[in-house]
Amino acid sequence: MTMEATLAAPTTGALLEVKALKKYFPIHAGLFSRHVADVKAIDGVDFEIRRGETLGLVGESGSGKTTIGRVVMRLLPATSGDVSFDGRDILAMGRGDVRHLRRQMQIIFQDPYASLNPRMTVGDIVGEPLRIHNLASGKAAEDRVRDLLKLVGLRPYHANRYPHEFSGGQRQRIGVARALAVDPKFIVCDEPVSALDVSIQAQVINLLEDLQQQLGLTYLFIAHDLSVVRHISTRVAVMYVGKLVELAGRDALYENPLHPYTQALLSAIPIPDPAVEARRTRIVLKGDIPSPVDPPSGCRFHTRCPIAFERCSVEEPAFVDYGSGHFAACHWVAEHGGQAPNLANGPIVL
Amino acid sequence: MPLLEVKNLRTTFRTEDGPVTAVNGLTFSLEAGQTLGIVGESGSGKSVTSLSIMRLLSRNAAVEADAINFNGENLMTKSEAEMRKIRGYKIAMIFQDPMTSLNPVLTVGEQIAEAVRLHLGYDRKAARDKAVEMFEKVRIPSPAQRIDDYPHQFSGGMRQRVMIAMALSCNPQLLIADEPTTALDVTIQAQILQLMNDMQNETGAAIILITHDLGVVAEVCRNVLVMYGGNMVEYGSADQIFRAPRMPYTQGLLASLPRLDDRRQERLQPIKGQPPNLLNLPPGCAFAPRCAYRMPACDQPVGLYDFGNGHVARCALYDERYTEQRPADFPGAPVASAVRVPG
Repeated sequence: MTMEATLAAPTTGALLEVKALKKYFPIHAGLFSRHVADVKAIDGVDFEIRRGETLGLVGESGSGKTTIGRVVMRLLPATSGDVSFDGRDILAMGRGDVRHLRRQMQIIFQDPYASLNPRMTVGDIVGEPLRIHNLASGKAAEDRVRDLLKLVGLRPYHANRYPHEFSGGQRQRIGVARALAVDPKFIVCDEPVSALDVSIQAQVINLLEDLQQQLGLTYLFIAHDLSVVRHISTRVAVMYVGKLVELAGRDALYENPLHPYTQALLSAIPIPDPAVEARRTRIVLKGDIPSPVDPPSGCRFHTRCPIAFERCSVEEPAFVDYGSGHFAACHWVAEHGGQAPNLANGPIVL
Repeated sequence: MPLLEVKNLRTTFRTEDGPVTAVNGLTFSLEAGQTLGIVGESGSGKSVTSLSIMRLLSRNAAVEADAINFNGENLMTKSEAEMRKIRGYKIAMIFQDPMTSLNPVLTVGEQIAEAVRLHLGYDRKAARDKAVEMFEKVRIPSPAQRIDDYPHQFSGGMRQRVMIAMALSCNPQLLIADEPTTALDVTIQAQILQLMNDMQNETGAAIILITHDLGVVAEVCRNVLVMYGGNMVEYGSADQIFRAPRMPYTQGLLASLPRLDDRRQERLQPIKGQPPNLLNLPPGCAFAPRCAYRMPACDQPVGLYDFGNGHVARCALYDERYTEQRPADFPGAPVASAVRVPG
């Protein structure tokens, strides 16, 4: 596979815009299933994804990153807020429009074992979107499936086999081929490599990068592995308990993280090099990740933040642009003119 | 005398499809107080190795070894009753998923107390005090109250602390930690790794850390054993393994890994192909089918080569006898100092 000219030259501007997005999951309890509380999975999030870029979305479990992927795909209804794709409000769309929308946005899932129907052949799995969207049938559909399998590095004869005959990495390629069948503009990649072995991860990451180049795709890349996200992303957003705490260009985020949570998160990732490890200072956060049912008041990170002060537990920090699109939501940073706090006495990441 | 000496361990599972060789002639040793990382991908045999040592495998597994010496005693000759006295006492183990390794219908305090009453002969009161003391050590807040809670009342990170408290309650000489932080978030992983490090400094227990995460190994371990296809392919200090890996598999693994501190956007260099099928291991080097430097000698059994200072690798490319076969582009060759060693 070559990485030559981009076929579909991406125009500039945002492909996906998310404004004040909220998604609450109600909790019912008691004899009459009374609504007692909400899991505030997404609690007011703003961001945009530009054409042709990869936005990395990172966060720990319960941060709401997977829910964001589902809501922008219209796989889950939003509680409130706006999501527009290519200038169209997708939260207001009816069923027919949503179906049409899925020709332009697709999703790749984490678990390549659970996301493929074991009773369908690979040809049927990859060809199903063509049938559903009336894009091709008969010989044309077969040819398209063969082309798609070749595109993702599989062999055309694999179309007659079943998912169990493939390894994890190959199954993830099948999932990619299925997503590409409708020729989408935008793909949500939800932890696409975290179930794969290290030596196979790189194969799938390279495939996703090649396809982006060839087809002009835009990605929302959701992952908890910050090393993978640094490699693949154009910009990176960091989520903590339903909120974005920081969003910036890749190198700005990794080399000059503003938010204390981002700093702690980056410092917690071990680097496979003992000499580098010996030079790093690790910020070990106290306590656990709070529950999104009852998130802390003010800044959600204040319960674990080593530099929290009074204002942090009372007032919610605004998500402010500190220059060149480097956003952060932190009172300390705001009160210090956009300066990064020095939690570890020195560079956090080399 | 090393604390643990494993000699020629072979573990085979009987399956419907035929015998699966999960561990294929593994030999290694561990000194008291040392931290050894065993790394490998799924199916490399790293977990089966520890379960074989502890004799915790299901009945369809056949464990053979020339010897598994622990403190000079061969565990292979121990009866099940004798093993039960060693497990959880002299050798403790923690697993990836603390929820499935704790008993959901007993309070965590009862579970720790059970171990110390059994192995140390404490009475009920003393065992409870010991449980509280262990909870304090692993820094669980309000220990005296929390020992009366059930496992589901703890978060994932706290549950792993409970497991560590339980594992260390009888002062083991060896702690085997099998992917102890894989199910945890990174900020919680950092807490647990720090705790394990503090506990080791305090108790002097040796640790075998089994993981697929090379970063965790670089952070925690002094020595590293790399497994592939059921056997050791490289062993050395963390510096040797991460800075000067010899085996093309280890080199490939490190090259395929995106790094947090790497701002270059170059393509990753994946290892081509798939991990080996354990039903049908190749007769020679298990990595040969995926190796960019494969030569005819790789298809016969390959011995270990010693690079000095305890660094060994199982790779025929370093054998002087095969100089003529060796691909010219192999960066590591020739190494005149590489000595073939038995094993």
